[in-house]
Amino acid sequence: MTSPTDVSPAPILQLDQLNRRRAGRPAVQNLSLTLQRGQVLGLLGVNGAGKSTTLSMIAGALRPDSGSIQLNGADFLEQPELARRLIGWLPERAPVWAELTVSEHLDAHGRLRGLSGTALRHARTAIIERLELQPLARRLAGVLSQGQRQRLGLACALLHQPALLVLDEPANALDPVQVAALRTLIREQAASGTAVILSTHLLTEVTAVCDSVAILHEGSLRHEGPVHSDDHAALERTFFEIAMHGNTPSARAA
Amino acid sequence: MNTLAVTRLEWRRLLVRPLAWVLAALTLAWLAWNFTLLLGGFLAGQIQRGALPDGPGFTDLVGVPLLGQLAQLAFLVVPLLTMSVIAGERRDGTLPILFAAGVPASSIVLGKYLAVLGWLLLWLALTLAMPLSLAHATNFDWGKLSAATLGLALMLATLAAVGVACSTFASHPAIAAAVALVIALALWSVNLGAQMAGVNGGAINWLAMSSHLQPLLRGLVSTADVSWFILLILLALALATRRLTADKERG
Repeated sequence: MTSPTDVSPAPILQLDQLNRRRAGRPAVQNLSLTLQRGQVLGLLGVNGAGKSTTLSMIAGALRPDSGSIQLNGADFLEQPELARRLIGWLPERAPVWAELTVSEHLDAHGRLRGLSGTALRHARTAIIERLELQPLARRLAGVLSQGQRQRLGLACALLHQPALLVLDEPANALDPVQVAALRTLIREQAASGTAVILSTHLLTEVTAVCDSVAILHEGSLRHEGPVHSDDHAALERTFFEIAMHGNTPSARAA
Repeated sequence: MNTLAVTRLEWRRLLVRPLAWVLAALTLAWLAWNFTLLLGGFLAGQIQRGALPDGPGFTDLVGVPLLGQLAQLAFLVVPLLTMSVIAGERRDGTLPILFAAGVPASSIVLGKYLAVLGWLLLWLALTLAMPLSLAHATNFDWGKLSAATLGLALMLATLAAVGVACSTFASHPAIAAAVALVIALALWSVNLGAQMAGVNGGAINWLAMSSHLQPLLRGLVSTADVSWFILLILLALALATRRLTADKERG
């Protein structure tokens, strides 16, 4: 387990010229991004823009065809075991082992991430309390609603206190109260030094919690910049310009 | 550590899955019924056999035939037990969770294999408990029973490795089970034609599982037979690991 507040001069995540083909077409092309500790980056894009592929590669579930991923200054592709302690990942649709209870799920994730004994019990208890999963703790994951699965997936991602949190559509199937709780949680994590990268379709999600935004279109980065919570309209304009025309007006003019 | 975490996860999943319990209950009930039949036959022929100086004993007439029945059941049970280990994870979308936890493909394959093997060895132990429950009342040929148990354990380990490999290659658990069953039957009977033609040696007989299990069931332990099982286990697990590594590459 790594404390997110560990002092290291290197950015927690650095993607350089990442490429990946899927189903015979380029899913991600020449993607370069940097993420600092405590930063919250929103990854926006229409369906098929390459968001989930990008996050899967960052999480270590998928290998890029070319390019490099530096995690905390180390080559992640050479040392995939870094994912174990540094990254927490909530995949899209939060897949679960249907036969296990919520509590057993957390234990299994904890063991896979190198926790055991008292440390595992403490981590499990803390995350169950933090995400208010007590009523679900003994319930089988297979019978949970999609919203409850999302919360379980989030708990699994946070269990080992990762330095980088990778969230793929985290607000999927959550009700408005849960969405508000999720935003609070993301802000808390960022305040404690955890870097967060999240993909979403919802522009409001980005303006509500993100410090910066990256917009992907057809697998490549078309816009990157800071987010101002009071400038939702500007972000919306940029997003729709890219979604409709493939680039921002300034980029097209250039 | 990684392997152990995967083994614990898979073991837990096996224990709560109804299929494993149903298979255990049905097969053990069937074996128990056969045990009583074999025991009845053994008791009925006891007087006639008493006249033979080197007649077959309890181990030959009850213990080993019971293990033989277990071997027959294994052709069906093992594919059903192994079909979901990887193909099920792939179908449910949980395989990337293991990759993302930094677990190498070899640890995933080995961890799952060990969990299934644990279940199968428990199954074998419960079957063995039937004849062993009469150990105080009869004379066992411990050497023969140990050799037969070793043979069964190796056979189960081999079928489990083949099943895990099939599950790694298949896109759906049912396909994995069907292919594992076909491969297991092929491995068993590949030399059937040669045997019928009276050929008892050569590569075709070496390939067949029956050629290596039957000596063990008769109490003959040879390095060549044990090595055959170990080679096949290693080959199947290596293929499974290779395929799973490619899965991560391909996505």
